[in-house]
Amino acid sequence: MTEALAESQAGSPASPPLSRREFLNYLWGTSLVIYLAGSAGALLFFALPRFEEGEFGGVITLPVEQVPPPDSPPAEFAAGRFWLVNLGQQAAADPRQPEGLAETPGVKALYKVCVHLGCLYRWEPTGERFECPCHGSKYLLAGAKIDGPATRNLDVFVIEAVDAEGNVLAQTEPTEGSRQGSSLPIPPGTVALRVNTGAKIQGASSSV
Amino acid sequence: MAIFRMHIPFLDEVKAKGLRQAGRAKADDIVTRVTAGLNPSDVRGLLRDDAPGRPNPRLTPHAEGFWLHMRPTYYHTLVDGLYPTFRLGWLATFFFVFEIITGVILMVYYTPSPNAAFENMLNLLGNVFLGSTLRDLHKLGAEAMVLVVALHMLRTFVTGSYKKPRQFTWATGIILLGVTLFLSFSGYLLPWDQLSLWAVTIGASMVEAFPPEVVGQTMNLIVRGGPEFNADGLLRFYLLHVVLLPFIGLIAFGVHYYKVIHHGHSLPPGSEKVGEDTAKRVPMDSRVYFMPKIITRELFYIVALMFLFLAAATFFYEAPLEVKADSLITPLHTTAPWYFLWLQGMLKLGDKVIWGVIVPTVLIGLLLVLPYFEVGPSRRYGDRRLGLSLAALSVAAIAVLSFMGTPWYGVSTSAEQEAVATLLPQTHPGPLREAEWEALQLGSFTASEYASAPNAEMAALLESFHEEVERVNDEARSEAEGVMVIEDWQTDLKKVTLRVIWTNLVDGSPGEYSQVVFLHRQAAYDRGGGS
Repeated sequence: MTEALAESQAGSPASPPLSRREFLNYLWGTSLVIYLAGSAGALLFFALPRFEEGEFGGVITLPVEQVPPPDSPPAEFAAGRFWLVNLGQQAAADPRQPEGLAETPGVKALYKVCVHLGCLYRWEPTGERFECPCHGSKYLLAGAKIDGPATRNLDVFVIEAVDAEGNVLAQTEPTEGSRQGSSLPIPPGTVALRVNTGAKIQGASSSV
Repeated sequence: MAIFRMHIPFLDEVKAKGLRQAGRAKADDIVTRVTAGLNPSDVRGLLRDDAPGRPNPRLTPHAEGFWLHMRPTYYHTLVDGLYPTFRLGWLATFFFVFEIITGVILMVYYTPSPNAAFENMLNLLGNVFLGSTLRDLHKLGAEAMVLVVALHMLRTFVTGSYKKPRQFTWATGIILLGVTLFLSFSGYLLPWDQLSLWAVTIGASMVEAFPPEVVGQTMNLIVRGGPEFNADGLLRFYLLHVVLLPFIGLIAFGVHYYKVIHHGHSLPPGSEKVGEDTAKRVPMDSRVYFMPKIITRELFYIVALMFLFLAAATFFYEAPLEVKADSLITPLHTTAPWYFLWLQGMLKLGDKVIWGVIVPTVLIGLLLVLPYFEVGPSRRYGDRRLGLSLAALSVAAIAVLSFMGTPWYGVSTSAEQEAVATLLPQTHPGPLREAEWEALQLGSFTASEYASAPNAEMAALLESFHEEVERVNDEARSEAEGVMVIEDWQTDLKKVTLRVIWTNLVDGSPGEYSQVVFLHRQAAYDRGGGS
C-alpha cells in the first residue's frame, strides 16, 4: 500500500501487467455477477403472479340484460372489480364534465379502485357522483375526475359486445389523442358483454 | 484392552483434597467458565462495586467471551450521562430484541391466511392466556421502536455525530430506519382486519406510482401478490415481517454497532477541538468501566422498561382490532399508519409520482449520503446554525405534513355521511359503540333537541351529532335534521338508526341518509367485535 503510494507519487505508472490468474479471477467474478443478476431477474418472474380465466384478471362475461338502463345509477360487479355504467344523453352532457373531455352515450366498465391510492370508491346518489372514502376524490358517472387528490380519470376495462354466435360486434377503444377509454354504444344484436379485467385503459390525466 | 478410556480429574481432586475442598474448587471453576473469566469472588466484588484488582479481572470476559466481546470495556465519562446519547440507540436495540421475543411467541398462534388470521386474533384476545397482553406488548413496542429510531436519528444529526469518521455508521442507521418502518408497516397487515387491510392498501399504492407505468404495475403485483391484497399478499407480507426484514435488520445492526464501537461514541460537540475526534483516546481518569457500572445499569433499564410496558399493556393500552377485512368495502376515513401520515400529507399536495415516489426517494437518498457532502469540520452548535435550523424545519414540516395526512385535512366527503360517521366511524369503534349500553334509552330522539335528552350521555351524543348535521345545510340543501332511533331488538341487543333528513332547495323534495347499527350489551367493539 505504502509502496504503491510511494511509486505513484514518484510519477511512475507502477501498475503491473495483467497476469493470467488475475484475468481468470476477473472472468470468474464477472460470470458470478451475471449469474446473480440472472437469478435476481428469475426471482422477480417467480414472484410475479399469473391469472386464470374467469377470476379477476381474466375475462368476465355478462348477459346484456344486466346492463343498467341509460342514466340510471351504476351497477356493481364485485367479482370483476368494476362498476358498469350506462351513459345516456343526460350523463354525457353533464355540466360538471371537465372541459375538453367530451363524452358520448354508451357503456363503460369502470375499475372500482380509486386511481389515487387504491381505496374502493362508491356511488353517492345524493351528489350523483362517485366518492372515495379515504381521501375524498370524486368522479362523475362517466369516470371523469371532478375533485382531487386523484390526478386522473378512472381506469376502464375493455368491453367487447358479442352476438349470439360469439362474434365481436364492437369493443372499447382508447379515445383518439388520449388514453381515456371511450364509452361503448351497444350495437343491435348484442347478447352479452365480455369485460376483460386484464386489459385496463388508464384514465386521462386531469388538472381540474 | 479398553475400547475407550475415561479419566475424571475431579475424582483425583477429591482423593487428594477431600470432597468439600474439591467441590468448592470445582464450583469456582464452573463459575469462571460460565462468566468467561470471573471467579466467584470477582463476581461478588463486581456486584459490590469494589475497586478491581490489578490486572483488572473484569476485562477478561470482554476478551474471552462472545457476548461481551461486542461491548466496549469502558466508556468516556462524557457520554455516560443522559446527554448526549439519551440512550436512544440502546433503546432501539432493546425494542428490536423485545419485538423479536414477543413476535416469536405470537407466531405460535398465527397462521398467515385470510381464512385464519382474523380468527387467530379473536382467539388471542379471548382464549389464550395472556394472548391480548402479548399482542398489546408487541404492538406498543413496535410503535415505540419507530419513535425511538426516529429520535435517535434526530439526535445524531443535532450533535453532528454523523460527521467524519462516522459517515458509514450514519448510512447503516438510515437503512435501519427503513427496516424499522417497513417491519412495522408489514406487521400492520397481519391481523387481517379492516384497519390493517386498507391502511396497508393505501401505503402499498405508492409502489404503483413508480414510473414508468409498466415498472410500477409489475412492482405492485409482486408486492401484493395480485391486483389486490389477498392470500398471496398476506403471505408475502408475513414472510417480509418475520424473515426478510429481521434478517436485513440484524445484519445492518451488526455493521452499525461494529462501527459505533470501532469509532467510539462521539463526545459532546463542545468537549473537543474543532475537527478532532478524541472518542477513542479516553484518559484513565475519564473511564467508566462496562463492568460493573454499565452492565448493572442496563440490567436495571431492562427491568424498568419491562415493568413499564407490562403495566401499560395491562392497564392503559389495547392494540386495536376492527372487524374482519373486507376487500369489497373501504371504510370512510381510512389512513396509512401514523408514521406514514407525512407521506399521505405530501400526496395531497399533488401528483402521486412526484410526491409519492420521486420526492421521498430523493429525500431518503439525500439522508443516506448526507455525511458525504455535508463535510463542515465543526460539530459545535454555534457553527452549524444552518444545519440545525434545517433540522428544526424538517421536524416542523413532518408535523404539518402528518396533520395534512389525517382525514381532517382536505378530505371532503358528503356532509350527511360525515355527520353519521361522527357517532359511528368506520375505522374505530367511536362514541356510539363505546357509549354505556344501559344509557341508550329506547325511543326516537331529534339531534337539535339534545338538551332534553333523557341522560347526559345521550345528550352528549346528540349534541355532537347535531353539530355535524348542521353542515349538511349548503346552497343546495336546507332544514337538515338528525334523528337517532333506538329500538329494543332482541334480548341484550338494541338497534340504533342514525338518520339525516333534509330538503333539497332545487325542487323542494326531501332527502334522507341513514345507517343502522346493532349494539350488544356485552360486545367488545374495540376488540374486533360487532360490525
